[in-house]
Amino acid sequence: MNLYLAAFGFGLVSVSVIAIAAVGFTMQFGITNMINLAYGEVMIVSAYAAYYLNHAGVTIWVGLILGAVVGALFSFLLNRLLYAPFQRKGTAPIGMVIVALAASLMIANLLLPIVGFYTSSYQQDPGPVLRAGGLVLTTVQVVIIVLALLLMLSIHGLLRYTRLGKAMRATAANPTLARNCGIPTGRVIDAVWLITGALCGMAGVVAGMNSENFAVSSGAGYLITILAAAVLGGAGQPYGAMIGALIIGMITELSAAVISPEYKEVVAFGILVLVMVLRPQGLLAKRGALAAAG
Amino acid sequence: MNYYVTTLLVYAGVDIIACLALNLVFGVTGIVNFSFIVFQAVGAYTAAVLSMPPDTANGGFQIYVGGFQLPFPIPWLGGAIASGLLAIPVGLVVLRKLRSDYQAIALLVLSVIANTVITNARPFLNGAAGLALVPPPLSDQIDPNTPTYQLLYVGVTAACVVLVLAVIVRIVNSPFGRTLRALREHELAASALGKNPIQLKMTVFIVGGVIAGLSGAILVGYIQLWAPSVWLYPETIVLFAAIIVGGRGNNLGAILGALLVPVGFEEATRFIPSLGPVGLVPALQWVAIGLLIIGFLWFRPEGVLPEPRRVFEGHPQAVGGDRGRTS
Repeated sequence: MNLYLAAFGFGLVSVSVIAIAAVGFTMQFGITNMINLAYGEVMIVSAYAAYYLNHAGVTIWVGLILGAVVGALFSFLLNRLLYAPFQRKGTAPIGMVIVALAASLMIANLLLPIVGFYTSSYQQDPGPVLRAGGLVLTTVQVVIIVLALLLMLSIHGLLRYTRLGKAMRATAANPTLARNCGIPTGRVIDAVWLITGALCGMAGVVAGMNSENFAVSSGAGYLITILAAAVLGGAGQPYGAMIGALIIGMITELSAAVISPEYKEVVAFGILVLVMVLRPQGLLAKRGALAAAG
Repeated sequence: MNYYVTTLLVYAGVDIIACLALNLVFGVTGIVNFSFIVFQAVGAYTAAVLSMPPDTANGGFQIYVGGFQLPFPIPWLGGAIASGLLAIPVGLVVLRKLRSDYQAIALLVLSVIANTVITNARPFLNGAAGLALVPPPLSDQIDPNTPTYQLLYVGVTAACVVLVLAVIVRIVNSPFGRTLRALREHELAASALGKNPIQLKMTVFIVGGVIAGLSGAILVGYIQLWAPSVWLYPETIVLFAAIIVGGRGNNLGAILGALLVPVGFEEATRFIPSLGPVGLVPALQWVAIGLLIIGFLWFRPEGVLPEPRRVFEGHPQAVGGDRGRTS
């Protein structure tokens, strides 16, 4: 029984990490219509930026901020220099997927010679162990959970109560109409890439802090978990991604306790297949993954 | 030297067959099959376990299912059939309801996960170590280490290339092929004319799977080993690069792409001296593959040999061909 309770605790942390990542991913898709398959690699780039700062003797919490900055700038430039020109050229969504996959391959392989093949880990002090009602978590894990909650609340506040958030929702619903109403969609999209990039970068560092180690090859696994959470919740729906993260994170951690940790991603994939067969539009979306009508 | 040439020829044949199949699925029909390499792998694994002795042989150093020691053509046919069978459930899940870009990511995820499962589940196909000592076809009758056998293998591979090319050219030029192009260009219009998009896509997906399986069977018979590390998902991207460089929808383009990218490019970079840290050259190869895709999609999306425009001959200057240039 204790094993399951422990798994539940790990699940909470896992949910937090996935939620930060999946909300960023799904906002990129929802607002800019871009399935950014390089997301996992940008997470890794940010994680390594924080790694070098951390190993220079700086605390990982400063590294987290650096990771957010690196993720934001990297995603912004990736969109400005690669995705946006192709989208302006009128490349079909399917062509964009190929471009994104090629970008992901390039980022991973440019990073490999720099950081090496070996796994890396942060120097961090997990802090005193906190116990509450049978749950046993380190201070770092509790901080990750609180951080994720704060980020989710800020995203909610941003989308719901600010002019920028309103402009983002308008751009997501109909970019042409939004532009005609005087919304500077170009700048809104820049803001989206900066904000989601920061989420992506933080997710990369937090994922590295939560697991014992990470490597360039972790990117593909991150991406699968994020895709599963985003598609489950309904792609393009930030609240859906939060629910998706909750379900995927909990189920994968509990299954790791029951079956074997090696199959975490397989379980995530199983959920993804079930969603695609039973409810392709996801839990929240009206359209989502369903074929476009025209 | 002679051995090098025959190896290169077999690789070229396998890559040409794979690119022709991918061109039918992706170039002609427009299905972005990011798990193409999985179908090649299934063909290879099936051919391997059909031709290998039971896993107690050789001191039982590897474990796997099957081990039927079947004579030559059966493992290859079995590999092709197994891939075709796999294409049915995959196609039913992926191709029926999903939007095209979701199909692509679902197939990409399948490719990553299939590799993870085979790597971790050792009793099934010997896990990460993979299968070794796969007997080459007809090795009980001819010694595989003779030049005659090498030439024979090249000949059989070439025969398969010709067969696959004949089948695919026939499909592409038939009314069925025209329907596939119509589907790629405008799915809604094609279905409005009474074509069933799901049935068409499923057919192509299965045909593509069968041919991919055959290419895997040919390859494993020659290299005699097969492991998860040779069918990681980026291998599919190499084939996509070949199709995009050669010319989407054009069979000659697919052949040219196969010769330029997987064969020519990898051979050319083989002679680069290893410099810098370990793994620098292979990593830069992958970067170059990515650049090749992005560069061609930007500057010449139709490829080196563009798909020929097909114009209905009855009406000169009529409504135009049955395809427009789209990306």
